[in-house]
Amino acid sequence: MAAPGSGGAGRAENGYGSQRRKGPGALATTYLVIYNVVMTAGWLVIAVGIVRAYLTKGSYHSLYYSIEKPLKFFQTGALLEILHCAFGEMYCGYVTETLSLADNSETTENDGDIEGIVPSSVVLTAFQVMSRVFLTWAVTHSVKEVQNEDSVLLFVVAWTITEIIRYSFYTFSLLNHLPYLIKWARYTLFIVLYPMGVSGELLTIYAALPFVRQAGLYSISLPNKYNFSFDYYTFLILVMISYIPIFPQLYFHMLHQRRKVLSHAEEHKKSE
Amino acid sequence: MGSRVTFFEVEILDWKTKQQLCFLDKVEPHATISDIRLMFHKSYPQWYPARQSIRLDPKGKSLRDEEILQHLPVGTTATLYFKDLGPQIGWTMVFLTEYAGPLFIYFLFYFRMPFVYGLDDKLTSSPHPVVNLACICHSFHYIKRLIETIFVHRFSHGTMPLRSIIKNCFYYWGFAAWLAYYINHPLYTPPSYGQKQINFAVIMFLICEAGNFSIHVALSDLRRDGSKIRKIPYPTKNPFTWLFFFVTCPNYTYEVGAWISFTIMTQCVPVGLFTFLCFIQMTVWAKDKHYTYVREFKDYPSLRMPIIPFLL
Repeated sequence: MAAPGSGGAGRAENGYGSQRRKGPGALATTYLVIYNVVMTAGWLVIAVGIVRAYLTKGSYHSLYYSIEKPLKFFQTGALLEILHCAFGEMYCGYVTETLSLADNSETTENDGDIEGIVPSSVVLTAFQVMSRVFLTWAVTHSVKEVQNEDSVLLFVVAWTITEIIRYSFYTFSLLNHLPYLIKWARYTLFIVLYPMGVSGELLTIYAALPFVRQAGLYSISLPNKYNFSFDYYTFLILVMISYIPIFPQLYFHMLHQRRKVLSHAEEHKKSE
Repeated sequence: MGSRVTFFEVEILDWKTKQQLCFLDKVEPHATISDIRLMFHKSYPQWYPARQSIRLDPKGKSLRDEEILQHLPVGTTATLYFKDLGPQIGWTMVFLTEYAGPLFIYFLFYFRMPFVYGLDDKLTSSPHPVVNLACICHSFHYIKRLIETIFVHRFSHGTMPLRSIIKNCFYYWGFAAWLAYYINHPLYTPPSYGQKQINFAVIMFLICEAGNFSIHVALSDLRRDGSKIRKIPYPTKNPFTWLFFFVTCPNYTYEVGAWISFTIMTQCVPVGLFTFLCFIQMTVWAKDKHYTYVREFKDYPSLRMPIIPFLL
């Protein structure tokens, strides 16, 4: 899904109110700056690739092939962000603190809950990155017939713009010099980009369905010695259905964050 | 020389709106939070004590029932915050529901109810003895758990939120249905190493169930006098409890062992997946409990690991 990771959503609180997290050390900061700069550059390369291919071919069909490799490389590279969150929870915490988005909402007092396994920020990041990686590899790459679809272009363009803004946002945040324009862009453009990306993703999955059914892709049926069966076709349909509860939640969460962040920034500007 | 009792005044505010919900005057200084909950309940009968979270800060941790008013960091006019935890279910009810579900759901698949495998296979039985064995083991496991819930366990917390039990039921019942579906399927394939594999699994299963039961009894005996204080559990004469030498939560160790043996017995991926998730969840619980003990007792045995001897 094209949701820009906000990092601060529903972080499991320990019940003692918001805690001031320490920023990452100098080494970690350097690493993270380099990482985010490289990712910004990578997605810029993809953007340039799309524009160039459009200008050369004269039409916007089948542009996927021109940017296939950098798309796979940089989208898969985002998996590192899960590690960043897991190992340096301060990374998530730091970004959250900068944005003043620390979610100071209620403590979760459900002791017997199955879901309280890992800190929410890791889960959220993992979820968002995995859904992107899934779209890239398990749908677009695996089902060659959909690569010509226009829906692919739709989500690729949405992802590209979103990621360029998001990674430059993180870069500037880490360097403590965040231009208001970038902050504004990150918290405003999603209003169009997120639905755009989601539409592209859903249409692509939908287009892939008949080919999955035909080839029996990634499916295993009984009997077998592992006593297991899996129908990828049904799985993809369930994935599509899952967008229905998840997309509005994330979208409205981002809208809520937008109000918080941009009004906060306005106050700062006024006080200068 | 008489001592003047300074009565406290307690105001209870809504944690979010900060509106005053209740004002209690002439509260005894040695009143407990439990007493305050009861007083609050009188004004708001719909909020029974179990669903009241009373805290010192709006977003702070819930105060325990045993806490005494005058020992809290408050002046003689105490300000407390209230949050509604939602409908609560007692732990006994929770466990009964969570365990009875899988027990009966498994039977739906074992007896091949018509809506499960289609009309051609309805109410037939499997030619494989291991399928019958698996049903016996699965049922034994949950019946044992139900018996323990009623007769053995002594719970420290009173209740659990309703939302959680619904989520948990979906999880446990859903998984039971999923694994029962494959084990009792007409196209089920028995284990690759045949009777040897099954026999090994059964023996391991019985050992782990006996072990798990022994630990539950030992833990229950720690609280025989009805106290709520935490004590360090120690190995007893029962050899199954000797795992306490190495592990803080041997009940979880045995539980995971039982599920591993069930996976070996059925050679079924969904069972393996469920076992893996159980392992993760129990490791988290075991680590929690382990570090609580370590913090609370300076003389806590240093050899012990949370769930796996020497490793985890």
